[in-house]
Amino acid sequence: MNRILNLVATEARIELRERSALSGIVLYVLSSAFIVFSIWKQLPPKEWGLTFWVIFLFCSLMAVLKTFGRESEGRYFYYYTLYHPLELFAAKVIYNLLLLVFIFFVLWFVLFVMAGNPILRIGWFFVTGLMSAIGLSFLLTLITSIAIKTQQNASLTAVMALPLMIPLLINILRLTAYASGTTPDENPWNEMMLLSSIISLVIGMSLWLFPYLWRS
Amino acid sequence: MMQESTTNSSFRLAAWKWAAMIILIFVFIAGWIVPLKPGIIKVTPDRAVAGEMIVVDVVGYNSFYLTDTTKLRAWLRLAGDTVIQAHHIQAWDDRNLAASFYIPSVFPVRQEAYPLTLVLDHGSEGTSILPNAIFITPASEQDTAEMKLWFRDKIEHVHEKAGIQYPFRNILSETIRNTYFHVPMWFCMIILFGVSAWYSLQYYRNGDIDFDRRSVAFIKVGLVFGVLGMVTGMLWAKNTWNAYWSWDVKQNMSAISLLIYAALMVMRSSVEDEMQKARLTAGYNMFAFVLLIPLLFIIPRMTDSLHPGNGGNPALGGEDLDNTMRMVFYPAVIGFILLGLWISQLVYRTDKLKGNL
Repeated sequence: MNRILNLVATEARIELRERSALSGIVLYVLSSAFIVFSIWKQLPPKEWGLTFWVIFLFCSLMAVLKTFGRESEGRYFYYYTLYHPLELFAAKVIYNLLLLVFIFFVLWFVLFVMAGNPILRIGWFFVTGLMSAIGLSFLLTLITSIAIKTQQNASLTAVMALPLMIPLLINILRLTAYASGTTPDENPWNEMMLLSSIISLVIGMSLWLFPYLWRS
Repeated sequence: MMQESTTNSSFRLAAWKWAAMIILIFVFIAGWIVPLKPGIIKVTPDRAVAGEMIVVDVVGYNSFYLTDTTKLRAWLRLAGDTVIQAHHIQAWDDRNLAASFYIPSVFPVRQEAYPLTLVLDHGSEGTSILPNAIFITPASEQDTAEMKLWFRDKIEHVHEKAGIQYPFRNILSETIRNTYFHVPMWFCMIILFGVSAWYSLQYYRNGDIDFDRRSVAFIKVGLVFGVLGMVTGMLWAKNTWNAYWSWDVKQNMSAISLLIYAALMVMRSSVEDEMQKARLTAGYNMFAFVLLIPLLFIIPRMTDSLHPGNGGNPALGGEDLDNTMRMVFYPAVIGFILLGLWISQLVYRTDKLKGNL
């Protein structure tokens, strides 16, 4: 566990050494929120939820994209001799999870300032956000680890990850609709169950497959 | 001499391939040739006022009204067993007839408008039904004595047409035959993707490049079947939903599943190292197949959909698939799956030959 946290800290140090990294993400969130907002002019509760998750998805794709691109090949070889692949994977997932939670709150704050807050059940919304951050960090980390081995990893990450995100996204949107009270559905537990079972599928599969995909 | 021996040996086919061919020939012939039962396409006028005598012109489909005009009977049904019978029926030709009804000025129930179902029975040609054929507006003056004009009994002694026919359903009509082609395509796609995931698992265990070749062949053919399923579905949707694409949840989910596998093929083409390519394919393929299960089997069931089998619409086992249709549908499923497996094998072999060149 300590070794994993060490790796996460190294990750964070590398990222924070470049000022552009985190501020780039914040700017990305801001400018995409601004574009969407200037198209919509106003955001009724339903559109607020949709806008939120569309921006969130693309921001998280952008942020996670360079998960495996930061270090040189040589360093990975070094890691490979030092760490078990799962330790490396866990470190990357934890780091990405923190990043996604960060994006979630930045985006929520930006939309809150720009368009108000239509969320009535704020607890449900945060739980949904946390669940989606967990699911997406596992899924995206696995997909980037595949895409990094190809020649055009940026576009391939999007092409491979976006369709796989949709089962998650559908449930997230339903839960958000429940949290903002735009659906007559009064029982969100079905969606919650489905979302958590899909997420556990993603987690199980990625933990199983990563060590296999990683060796090269 | 050499050529003769090669043609002889290559002509030996396994029994299941013969079975696939025979089944598919049966499916194509029976699926297209067997006629539909008689039905009603149109009724004019489609609205009327209560308390008046109306003459309804009926346009039939696959009907033979002139065969024996004395055997024709017609009813307008309000709900359940509450019906009025036609006073007089005049058949003009096999496809057109006129039936006259007196609509009572009072109704057993009180509504803004009364949708009536037209039921037509012929002694030898069978029964045909048009739900909500005529909408009746309530009369301004109601005569309670006319309540006795409503019969409170079942429409009895209706006839079944002899012989083999598919049921006639309104809106669906001839497109009901799509059941034999559209549905098996998806079954076949799922089976092929499943087999492909299985071969990926074998590659994961053994690392034999041959399993990679097999799993890719199955994905390629599965994609073709998926596209065919989508095209047949879109043509059907144009005829019944009046749009090729209406963002129905089933349409979306199937398009997404095709996108996932198309992404896999794109990913393969951008990796050069063979072993690397095979390993990434195996990993992504198993991951995608597991995520395909909620995508295709759980999420569409939780959402409203126009698609048969969703949102209370009948599908397999419902009234749309009667025993006559089952006799073609089940063979169609088996036949198309066998055909898919066969084509995948051929693709695998040609890929292998190309790789060896």
